[in-house]
Amino acid sequence: MTDATAPAPAAPAAGGKRRSLLEVDERTRRRNAAEARFRLYGIVAISVGLLFLLLLLGSILFNGLSAFQQTFVQVPVYLDPERLDPEGNRDPEEMRGVTTFGYKPLLNEAVYEKVQSLGIETPLPEPAMAPLLSDGAATTVRSFVLENPDRLGETVEFDLLASSRVDGYFKGRVTRDSIARDRFIDAAHLDLADAMNEAGTMGKQFNLSFITGTDASDNRPEQAGMGVSMIGSFFMMLVVLILALPIGVAASIYLEEFAPQNRITDFIEVNISNLAAVPSIVFGILGLAVFIQFMHLPQSAPLVGGLVLTLMTLPTIIISTRASLKAVPPSIRDAALGVGASKMQSVFHHVLPLAMPGILTGTIIGLAQALGETAPLLLIGMVGFIASNYPDGVAAGFLDPNSAMPAQIYEWAKRADPAFYERAWGGIIVLLAFLMTMNIIAIILRRRFERRW
Amino acid sequence: MYDAPTAAEQALQQHDIKISSRNVQVYYGDTHAIKDVDVDIEDKTVTAFIGPSGCGKSTFLRCLNRMNDTIDVARVEGEILLDGENIYDKKVDPVQLRARVGMVFQKPNPFPKSIYDNVAYGPRIHGMAKNRADLDEIVERALRRAALWDEVKDRMSAPGTGLSGGQQQRLCIARAVATEPEVLLMDEPASALDPIATSQIEELIDELRRNYAVVIVTHSMQQAARVSQKTAFFHLGNLVEYDDTSKIFTNPEDPRTESYITGRIG
Repeated sequence: MTDATAPAPAAPAAGGKRRSLLEVDERTRRRNAAEARFRLYGIVAISVGLLFLLLLLGSILFNGLSAFQQTFVQVPVYLDPERLDPEGNRDPEEMRGVTTFGYKPLLNEAVYEKVQSLGIETPLPEPAMAPLLSDGAATTVRSFVLENPDRLGETVEFDLLASSRVDGYFKGRVTRDSIARDRFIDAAHLDLADAMNEAGTMGKQFNLSFITGTDASDNRPEQAGMGVSMIGSFFMMLVVLILALPIGVAASIYLEEFAPQNRITDFIEVNISNLAAVPSIVFGILGLAVFIQFMHLPQSAPLVGGLVLTLMTLPTIIISTRASLKAVPPSIRDAALGVGASKMQSVFHHVLPLAMPGILTGTIIGLAQALGETAPLLLIGMVGFIASNYPDGVAAGFLDPNSAMPAQIYEWAKRADPAFYERAWGGIIVLLAFLMTMNIIAIILRRRFERRW
Repeated sequence: MYDAPTAAEQALQQHDIKISSRNVQVYYGDTHAIKDVDVDIEDKTVTAFIGPSGCGKSTFLRCLNRMNDTIDVARVEGEILLDGENIYDKKVDPVQLRARVGMVFQKPNPFPKSIYDNVAYGPRIHGMAKNRADLDEIVERALRRAALWDEVKDRMSAPGTGLSGGQQQRLCIARAVATEPEVLLMDEPASALDPIATSQIEELIDELRRNYAVVIVTHSMQQAARVSQKTAFFHLGNLVEYDDTSKIFTNPEDPRTESYITGRIG
């Protein structure tokens, strides 16, 4: 056997190094296998990433979409002048004397009458209609009356918010089992709600006030909305944009184009890179110490939030701006200097326009990051509870206590009533919509301004 | 090519000294890149710098309009006189100098703007035109001088980067001459171009000689012989020989020059 095989390995060696291309040798086979394995790892990694992304998006949409719909009750309400304007002067000032408590019996009557007129049988007496309606329903009617005092005595059709229990029942969150020990509502209410839903006088509708409305107290989750915190976020982003863009761009132009190459510049560069990696909560406590305790700026104000987020965003903007300045070929600078342009002219006429798409993209990414930042806002108290009033005017927008979208989401997620849980998810959808819009703008800007040289 | 010069050509060869350098040393950090260069560059003449790669010819060229200032580690010693004034004097603003000593680079580097804006940029920043009509005229004159006018007059708003390589380089020359410089420095202006574009550029350089002192760095000895009247041969940072081009290429004095032009070194 050894005799037979011994010459065999010698043969190819003797035949020189010429092997057939049609045979794959061992070494090549191993290399190809390694390559195929690596490609497989890549595909697996990407699939895992995609799976998690889908899970994330799926759960956000599954949990959050219901927040955009709310159960309303359509009832005609007789605006009884006797009770709503006892003095009879139709003077809005006097009519303010009647609080929402004065309105509630009116609404109970209206719902009860509606139920009777629809021929629905219910064991519940008239005052027991209250748990069907949100606490906010009386507010809706009251503000309508105060705005239109001349419509007293008429019967007006209202879309009133149903209570969160009823709303939860239609969304599947509240069941007959879960209300067994609920002191606010009992099974008879749910029977009635079902009947009213069938009769078409109660049902889910798109709820714009979730996006535009104000936050609401623990007792009325059905009324809570993102509007005010959105305004807070808007003013913060304004501060960040106004401060971080010029400061960041100026700093990076100086560092990249003008600064002498020495120890101090190196030190600054290293520290900017380090700042980009500092946890955001550190910026929060810095803001608390510097802006609020030392400079006595108002607490919970978007101005302070904006300042803190500016500090946080600056390194991001500086790093991306410097990268895009570096990407401009030096031949362009030479060309400008060669025709007698000054350093500044060459930068502002030629380098900066070419770096603009990169700078804008970096800025928008930085803004998006700041928009979603929560931790520093908690430390400077930007979790204001604004239940009724929007900031009036620009100054108030900057200085009045407010909240921000991510802080609002955190706030809702913290509350006990499960109805707020749904709103937290809904808030995340709104926040993600903003972030996606900003990223799309960044992509569009990059495409639009991208030039070849 | 080396016929005896006619009387008219001889008259043309009597020129003033435009730039003269004395004891110029250039250091890049610790490297001594240029050693003791003395050279007199004549007005209305094409002077070619030749030599092997890394011999310092481009470095010396960039000294003539202080483009080396943009490199932090570069240091220049000695005097370079432009019309008798030392351009390395502390009072000299390099920006003002570069308006008088224009430069064309190895790789065509038009701005990513329209052809018109490319040429008009220099005149604009130097305030050379009072109004749009003036500027139009300057642009047209510069493009005509760069022999590009006929090719681009109908598409002045097209991007300069969309032209062919040779056209781009002529556009860069037009951009350089638009500011009415007195000296034109060219750093291997044809090395990135094909033979046809190269010959166009060479013809153009010969034309430009009427108005400017042209200094050209080139790797091609044939090119130096074709376009220049004076040639300087650099080797290892030294100026080995500087004389009439015809003399350098027919009867060089230094053995190193001879070795280089016959292809034994370099």
